[in-house]
Amino acid sequence: MSKFVALIRRELGVYFVSPLAYITLMALLFIAGLTFYYSVKNAVGMRVPGSFEGPLYAIDLVVIFTSALVTMRLVAEEKAKGTIEILLTAPVTEAQVVLSKFIAALTLLAFLLIPTSGFAVILARYGSVDFGQVWCGYLGVLLLGAALYSIGLFVSSLCTSQITAGIITFSVVILLLIGNIGAAFMPEASVWRQLLDLVNLGSNLGDFMRGVVDSGRLLYLVSLTVFFLFLTTRLLETRRWR
Amino acid sequence: MIEVSDLTKTYPGVLAVDRITFKVDKGEIVGFLGPNGAGKSTTMRILTCFIAPTSGSASVAGFDVVRQSMEVRRRVGYLPENNPLYSEMRVEEYLHFRARIKGVPRPDRARRVDDVLGRVSLADRRRSIIQHLSKGLRQRVGLADAIVHNPEIVILDEPTIGLDPTQVREIRELIRQLGKEHTVLFSSHILSEVEKVCGRVLIINRGRLVEQGTPEEIANRLMKTGRVRLEIRGDGRAIKESLDRTPGVAHILWSAKGDLNTYIVESAGGKDVRSELFRCCASHAWDVLELSHERLSLEEVFTAITESGGGGASA
Repeated sequence: MSKFVALIRRELGVYFVSPLAYITLMALLFIAGLTFYYSVKNAVGMRVPGSFEGPLYAIDLVVIFTSALVTMRLVAEEKAKGTIEILLTAPVTEAQVVLSKFIAALTLLAFLLIPTSGFAVILARYGSVDFGQVWCGYLGVLLLGAALYSIGLFVSSLCTSQITAGIITFSVVILLLIGNIGAAFMPEASVWRQLLDLVNLGSNLGDFMRGVVDSGRLLYLVSLTVFFLFLTTRLLETRRWR
Repeated sequence: MIEVSDLTKTYPGVLAVDRITFKVDKGEIVGFLGPNGAGKSTTMRILTCFIAPTSGSASVAGFDVVRQSMEVRRRVGYLPENNPLYSEMRVEEYLHFRARIKGVPRPDRARRVDDVLGRVSLADRRRSIIQHLSKGLRQRVGLADAIVHNPEIVILDEPTIGLDPTQVREIRELIRQLGKEHTVLFSSHILSEVEKVCGRVLIINRGRLVEQGTPEEIANRLMKTGRVRLEIRGDGRAIKESLDRTPGVAHILWSAKGDLNTYIVESAGGKDVRSELFRCCASHAWDVLELSHERLSLEEVFTAITESGGGGASA
């Protein structure tokens, strides 16, 4: 356990010595703030209760677009710099390495999300906020982050160059984001349409944003995460034999 | 301590290590010598459990590197080639982290880190960021990492590569110190370096183990290879033709300065042909100015072994 904590702390340390964490935080606060401002302005203008759904969507988009940035270096950098050799010849298991990297990325995300909750607090001061919906939205963001980060981690462990890893992860994410465009042209009952809808990020998030925890969506995101973490671990384990 | 038998590693299309067998006993400093690409790093990576062998077996500290890799990793300190480090960390922070993931218990950690920092003389740079250190100092950080968990066996892959002569001397001295408490296996492609530090040398070439023993043993075994230097005044060409016919002579290098001829005579199978050469000269009544046995330096032996593609010296 001590080894595990040490690994996580090192990974987190890397995020905070590089400008990455701060840039992502800036982007997140700026975009979420802007959305917050306009959603409140809009609500006041239309004389409807303010909602936190807008900022949540904005946060989601930032998380989606930065997932490649956050994950691309995780394993690829170790391979490029050769540090993977000192890491994997130390008495730690591949599973510990993979999980520590994943948890570090997710912890970074949680760190980044904390300041954005300020908007919900401000909203609650001057109006009414459904905190159930807010928590649910954040849960959605975290689950989405987990799924995307595990995919990014997997891609990163396939690549030696972090740039390559970043580009591939970004492409996969974009595909997951807009992949259902084609679905609109398919018949309603088509299996493909349902499948595209199932894997699509937007449709997976809508329910969470509205405060609904759909067990199917939950299961999908969690199993996606577990699946890619498993694949990454296996990939590192079999590296010895290649 | 280290037992390797019939170890083989193939990459697609490349035979990196070819049926290597050797043993390293407790407390030895063993040098692993060979040109670049000979298979040194591959062997070391197998011993440190970074890659698995294709066939054959290797055990370190009594544990199999494939089936009991965790046990092996706990007992081995490893400095890989090119010394990869987490360069954004501070020296002390890095060693603490390494000690922790290598399972040094918390109460001992600070003491162990202080101890190794002292041993590699980095105590005054403990707060430096690794990135900002010179290559020699970084190498010491790598060495400190290799011994921070007080391993039984230390494996160092090209620890002196790319360092200046002073730094090389320092690292060499450190390795000698390490040898007092640990079993050390270290690789190099520079012979003189290995000769100065090691009790025993393993010479590897193109994946094959071609020689092993103390530097003196290897030198004695291989330096029998006869090479005789002759200086004779007279008609160079005629002399060379006669010498060529002398029994046991394999090859003659001839250079002439006026009527002064110098011949480097190499004998077949390393035989001593001095008497035959003398008789030849005497029968022709040549003015022999010099007839001497030229000994190969260990450096030349090494070059000979590694260039002939293994299988003993043929120089």
